[in-house]
Amino acid sequence: MDSVTVVVIGGGATGTGILRDLSMRGVKTLLIERGDLASDASGRFHGLLHSGARYAVTDPRSAKECIEENAILRRIGKHCVEKTEGFFVRLEGDGEDYEGQWVAGCAAARIHAKRVDLKEARRLEPHLSRRAVSVFRVPDSAIDGFRLCWQNVASARRYGGEVRTYTEATGIERAGDRVVGVTVCDTLTGAVDSIGCDHVVNAAGSWVGRVASWAGIEVDVKPDRGVLIAFNHRFTNRVINRLRPPANGDIFVPHGPITVLGTTSSPVASADDNVPHVEEVLELLHNGTELFEDLPKYRILRAYAGARPLYSPGEGRAASRDFTILDHSTDGLRGLTSAAGGKLTSYRLMAEKTADVVCRELGVKAACRTAAEPMVEDPPRRLVTRARPFFPPYGLDLAASRLGAAFGPVVQGLQMHPEERRLICECEMVTLAEVESAAREPTTFNLGDIRRRTRMGMGTCQGAFCSLRAVGALVSHDLVADKDGKALIRDFLETRWKGIRPVLWGDQIREAEFQREVYAATLNLDGTAQR
Amino acid sequence: MKGYLYDSDRCMACTSCTVVCPVAAATREFLGPKMVGPALSRFRRPALAPDLAADLCSNCKNCDISCPSGVPISTLNMLSKAEYYRHHRHRLRDWVLSHGQLMGNLATPFVPLSNLAIANPISRTMLGAFGFAGRMPLPAYVRKTFRKQFRALRQQSFPQKVVFFPGCYIDFYDPGVGLDFVAVMQANEYEVVVPRGLGCCGTPMVANGFPGAAERAVRRNVRALQEWTDAGVPVVACCTSCSLTLKQEQQELFDVPGAAELAARVYDATEFLLELRDRGKLKTDLKQLSGRYLYHAPCHLRDQGIGRPGFEMLGSLPGLEISDADAGCCGLSGSYGFKGDRYEVAQAVGDALFKKVRASGADAVISECGTCRHQITVATGAKTLHPISVMRRAFE
Ligand code: SF4
Ligand code: SF4
Repeated sequence: MDSVTVVVIGGGATGTGILRDLSMRGVKTLLIERGDLASDASGRFHGLLHSGARYAVTDPRSAKECIEENAILRRIGKHCVEKTEGFFVRLEGDGEDYEGQWVAGCAAARIHAKRVDLKEARRLEPHLSRRAVSVFRVPDSAIDGFRLCWQNVASARRYGGEVRTYTEATGIERAGDRVVGVTVCDTLTGAVDSIGCDHVVNAAGSWVGRVASWAGIEVDVKPDRGVLIAFNHRFTNRVINRLRPPANGDIFVPHGPITVLGTTSSPVASADDNVPHVEEVLELLHNGTELFEDLPKYRILRAYAGARPLYSPGEGRAASRDFTILDHSTDGLRGLTSAAGGKLTSYRLMAEKTADVVCRELGVKAACRTAAEPMVEDPPRRLVTRARPFFPPYGLDLAASRLGAAFGPVVQGLQMHPEERRLICECEMVTLAEVESAAREPTTFNLGDIRRRTRMGMGTCQGAFCSLRAVGALVSHDLVADKDGKALIRDFLETRWKGIRPVLWGDQIREAEFQREVYAATLNLDGTAQR
Repeated sequence: MKGYLYDSDRCMACTSCTVVCPVAAATREFLGPKMVGPALSRFRRPALAPDLAADLCSNCKNCDISCPSGVPISTLNMLSKAEYYRHHRHRLRDWVLSHGQLMGNLATPFVPLSNLAIANPISRTMLGAFGFAGRMPLPAYVRKTFRKQFRALRQQSFPQKVVFFPGCYIDFYDPGVGLDFVAVMQANEYEVVVPRGLGCCGTPMVANGFPGAAERAVRRNVRALQEWTDAGVPVVACCTSCSLTLKQEQQELFDVPGAAELAARVYDATEFLLELRDRGKLKTDLKQLSGRYLYHAPCHLRDQGIGRPGFEMLGSLPGLEISDADAGCCGLSGSYGFKGDRYEVAQAVGDALFKKVRASGADAVISECGTCRHQITVATGAKTLHPISVMRRAFE
């Protein structure tokens, strides 16, 4: 049985943020996650780092919090944040009164919202609707949830923090009124174990209530489902928000080569319910078409759904997107803290407040330093220059920012072995060296893990070429010992399918059929053809 | 703005285009059409600096021919090249190679001096320094351009008219082909018109990253042809790159009013004649010919999706023996193979064709495209002809 000071349950932005915060304060912390990092809400949202402008009218407190955190993350998270800026666009027919309230709200929250001349707005975003009547620019940005979580972990590791993925918490061990450990189960092997600790942090997002219930405590967190669509192209270079009271399908966020449209909002019984439905996709398209008239012509890559954890303390108050830190010593149990609710933009603040509570109880005096220090260092300039010839155009900067500390060794490999420069994933420009580097990580178990680290398989062909190539490379380099290559491909394609099925029309149905031809008809992956 | 966004969206990454791309097969330096066209187009929007990944693309359009999704890959390539040159200076050589009309107008009055100036060993070395391929001779200018000779020609007048679009190659280097076309049409009771104001079709400018000049050329041609297209008169070219540009490429690239109406009237010469033959409008008492020929289909003919009308026509002429080389691209691609840093690639691309030509023992190689013929002659020493020149012998 291992023993640490604090166990954090949940490998989303909040959990990894807490791991980083506590580790930087010198507290020995281990994070456990039942799947891969960011495999739930933190990887299943629109990837918008709010400026707060969206809350300027409806929730001034959140607005203020967002703009402060936005500024911090743009500083410390340079390699997971793309500083795109954002537009708020009022269309013909959208209320003018709201615009006035919104401008005032932004001013009150100290969000810099500047009116953009319509002609200039069109020049900058030529695909935007002709029906735009007012445009404002705000410091919205795009943030990559997968990278955010891994970079939090990378930073935590420098201070002794540890992480175990595919490790599910199954219970909380107590001695009298104290927490003394958690029981865990390895989700890949089924092995059970327990980890001793002085404190447990419950950062399980939508599952916070379930974890608390193991200690006999009730925490009312309700999952709220949001569906999103990823498009094949970057048709906007800025985050585009509709300037009207927040509604479904009125945010577009560019991420590298793609654009994400979101989101819907509906209560669900279980946060595990993350398969999008066609009707939800159609509703998003319908609303989104008002901001981008050509939207129905753009190719959809996939749709996905995630659940926001909404916390409603007791009766009579509406569930909010704010976060709340619950110190359960008030419930008669010492050593358990729950971080309930919250949104990604303010995850760092939520982690700070949680760590404050934990440190107070542990008697640790160190102050929070997460806002001051970048999560990953910039790669040295000389290394970047040396690496340029090894990558296709645009590939270098993408690789440098997604690889973090692994960039140096990967460049080394590319220099020594030119064959490593070959692209495994052409759609997202991922080299063989990167795939191998991700595969060598002890936290990598399948192609999905490689995908989240590298973006392999996230582009146009949705895994049609890269899954086969990646498995081939991994098998021939002995990087998947004791694993069945066929099963790896099948599992990978199966998860890709989940997102393709709700958008199976237009160009994407041709793509899917092509993929089926390759894997089923040619390679007989489904085993239909018998000897 | 044209629909490039959805065009590259149609790509399903099947890689057929990369498999057939002759340049990708010849050099690993070229990422291939899938990457350079639709795949990189996804990254170009967010990027601040344009790339030159498409520079090795010869605009031969084999990728477009193979694409099952109708992605105008070569046009995406030309656009990205153009974007690059909006921010960077062109090489003088590329300017010279893409402004054949202007160069021709300057050089023709001084033939044979101007040819000597190009062909003598000293200036060839100098040309090499400017980036021309020393080993690839430029075609020689003729003393009298096609248009000059045409004006001196006395045609018999017929009610049926056809407009001839000469293009630079026939005008400045190979006027005989144009005269042969006129003769064939006259024999079939058509009067040939060459309106004033026609010039370069624009494709060399497109291929060398001068889209502005190309668009001006398109506008000028559309204007010069307007009265004839309005009257429903067919427009015919003997150069397959000209006919392809007039039919298709200019429409993919520019929004010129009247261009679509023009495109609908344009024929390649062999296509036009085959159609007349099928409608029973061609003379049938043909002269007996003889000879054994090898046929090479230019890429820009194959991209038109009209089959091989020249090959079909010649096959039906009495006494001719003709076989299809079916050996892909010749490698020259208009101006590409004249460039010093492209010469090796261009030769490697054409190698399969050269081998076929040498092994064939044919009396001559037949091909519609002037630069294909030039490349074949330089590489193999074989005699080359445009199909219309062979047809002239049968019809007259
Ligand atoms: S036009 Fe020719 S050279 Fe260019 S990408 Fe297409 S096939 Fe290759
Ligand atoms: S042939 Fe067409 S669909 Fe296939 S990869 Fe090339 S551009 Fe894409």
